[in-house]
Amino acid sequence: MFACLYVSDFPVQASLLLEPAEARKVLKQSPLAILDGPANLPRVFALNQAARRAGIETGMTKLQVETYGGVGLRKRSIQTEEAAQATLVDYAGAFSPRVESTCSGAVILDLAGTEKLLGPLQKIVQTLTSNAMEIGFDLRVAIAANPDTAFHAARGFSGITIIPAGDETQRLARLQVSVLTASPEILEVLNGWRIWTFQALAALPTVALVERLGQEGLHLQKLACGQFDRPLLTVQPITEFIASFEFDDPVETLESLFFILNRLLQQLCSNLMAGSLVANELRLTMELEVRQIQNGQNGEKYQHEWKLPVPTQDKHMLFALVRLHLEKTTFSAPIRKLTLEVVPVKPRMAQGNLFAPPSLEPEKLEITLERIRGVVGTTDAEGRDCVGSPRLVDTHQPDSFTVWHFSGRGESANLSQAVNPIVTLRIFRPALETSVELDGETPHFVWLWQRHRRVIAVSGPWCASGDWWNASAWTREEWDVALKTPAGIGFYRIYRDRIRQRWFVEGVFD
Amino acid sequence: MNATLLRAQIRSQIEEKLPSAFTVYRRLEQGSIPTGIPQIDDTVQGVPLHALTEICGSHLASSGKTSLLTSLLAQASRDHCCALVDAGDSFDPASGQAAGIHLPRLLWVRCGKSRVKLPPLEQAFKVADILLQSGGFGLIAVDLSSLGERVVRKVPLSSWFRFSRVIEKQAAALVFIEQEPHATSCAGLVMRATAEPFGLSGNLLTRFQLKAEIIRGQEKRPGRSEKSGFSLRTQWA
Repeated sequence: MFACLYVSDFPVQASLLLEPAEARKVLKQSPLAILDGPANLPRVFALNQAARRAGIETGMTKLQVETYGGVGLRKRSIQTEEAAQATLVDYAGAFSPRVESTCSGAVILDLAGTEKLLGPLQKIVQTLTSNAMEIGFDLRVAIAANPDTAFHAARGFSGITIIPAGDETQRLARLQVSVLTASPEILEVLNGWRIWTFQALAALPTVALVERLGQEGLHLQKLACGQFDRPLLTVQPITEFIASFEFDDPVETLESLFFILNRLLQQLCSNLMAGSLVANELRLTMELEVRQIQNGQNGEKYQHEWKLPVPTQDKHMLFALVRLHLEKTTFSAPIRKLTLEVVPVKPRMAQGNLFAPPSLEPEKLEITLERIRGVVGTTDAEGRDCVGSPRLVDTHQPDSFTVWHFSGRGESANLSQAVNPIVTLRIFRPALETSVELDGETPHFVWLWQRHRRVIAVSGPWCASGDWWNASAWTREEWDVALKTPAGIGFYRIYRDRIRQRWFVEGVFD
Repeated sequence: MNATLLRAQIRSQIEEKLPSAFTVYRRLEQGSIPTGIPQIDDTVQGVPLHALTEICGSHLASSGKTSLLTSLLAQASRDHCCALVDAGDSFDPASGQAAGIHLPRLLWVRCGKSRVKLPPLEQAFKVADILLQSGGFGLIAVDLSSLGERVVRKVPLSSWFRFSRVIEKQAAALVFIEQEPHATSCAGLVMRATAEPFGLSGNLLTRFQLKAEIIRGQEKRPGRSEKSGFSLRTQWA
């Protein structure tokens, strides 16, 4: 059996999908029309039942509609309709792996073999209808033995329709011929013959019909009888997870942006769940009204990418990451368009490490790190991260390190290895430039903290150099000196940069 | 009437109406993290969990406060994830690794390095607050010793009090490294580190003689201090 899910007045329902649930309920009851066409003369393209009752018709101009008063008008958005269609296909995909996206606002799914999983047909239909309300669709559902019968029944009959096999001709008899997806010329001919219902079309002699209307006429007659069978053109699994939204008027406040972001992330996460995938990377692209100058980026786009430490489907976590980042970012222009892209991967099951220390959940940790970055910033002047786990670089150059992403899941520490406390160097970053008075070749006085400090003891020189084969060559002469200070004796490390011929205080042994 | 009797009488009358007035607030005392220096661990059983600890020392002279912090991080990173909020960006990863810190388990937050306009002290306090809220860290160390004493002195007592109350509910130790103690009674442990004459072998610095004075401990009251001396070797000794 095949089920057709049909969304009546699809452009109207699609435009309401982005509204909150309560506002959507109110708007559905009030007259609403969708306008399309040239900007100087838009016409009504679609409307809801309340608007029909108010006397609005398709094709009316905006000016004509405005004379009625109290009718909501919206501009048609192809992207919104595509997103709504994608949502409908995803929704159907939760019930059957074989789904056809028949046309805008209609999908057909193959229910063969799903009875054991989802229950009898009545129950499946009820579930299909009630769950659709939650995502914002008022569905018409029809079930029949072939896809086209289900499609025409869903288009022609409101509510739920179940057509048992063999009763197709009888049940479709009352439907109007206009329900068929035929060319306007054929429909005009049928109208001229006073053929207005499926029953009348089915009763025509086949040979005479083919002589006059050709193979298309025969095809339409088979459809009217409910006897045409065909394989489903199933939707291929989504390979690109991209959601975008273009604002009618560029937005300047984060609240407006967050509302749409939440909806887009919800859609992306639903797609991921439908495909049993998880997000590994998240990319945000925002098109600005004018060129962004503040970050020195060339172009009208702002882009940011998150490489997630743990692949996830959690929309709350993803939303928190984006929100925290946007809160600390400033834009020089309003935002015109928003695009979110997710790089999906297959989820991997991993067993927890018994010997790992207790730590935060990866999702919470990522949000915590993002909050900290919001306070201290992301990178320093040298491009090193301000938040993370330090890691030494394989070089002899002092104070060489990188900062890696902190996951809290480092390899288990070697507990058998004894930890012996040692004297630690406290670094001045950047090193303090100083002047040194020499006694022969050894430091005698060091200028530090606005005074000359007498050297009590000295150890050195310790010479080191590296990277002499490239432009970042360094060579230095280190001395460890004990200086007399008001608070006592301080043991400092000073060095002479042999290339620049300058002295620096690198740190204090503390 | 005897003063004791009078007090008991007043207490019996008020206690029914205001039961909390005579309740003595006691801190939870559960566990500690060893510092890795036997002399200190024997005296105070390490740095207490559920409490705020202050380690003080001069920023001009070598005092040993950073070595003490590094040793503490090395011990803590064996069993816990640790966080170091570095207000002056003065942590040396090479020294840390040599001291035995398990670097992948250390979250290092370098304050005052980016273009963020917030002063480093405020950054450090805000980050400490975020870390305390999130939980999951066994040791949170906040190094304020690079900041001027005048700046840190202006931190209101209510901030220290709030930190001490938040950390009480978590199985973690909150350690502040400063030039002078500021948290007063909010701190569960206050140590002052000072260096004594260093040891030279030839012209090579090999050993530091340090002294840790316990100004306030879990069993100590202010005014009574206990000193413990110890020596630390240098990385190359």
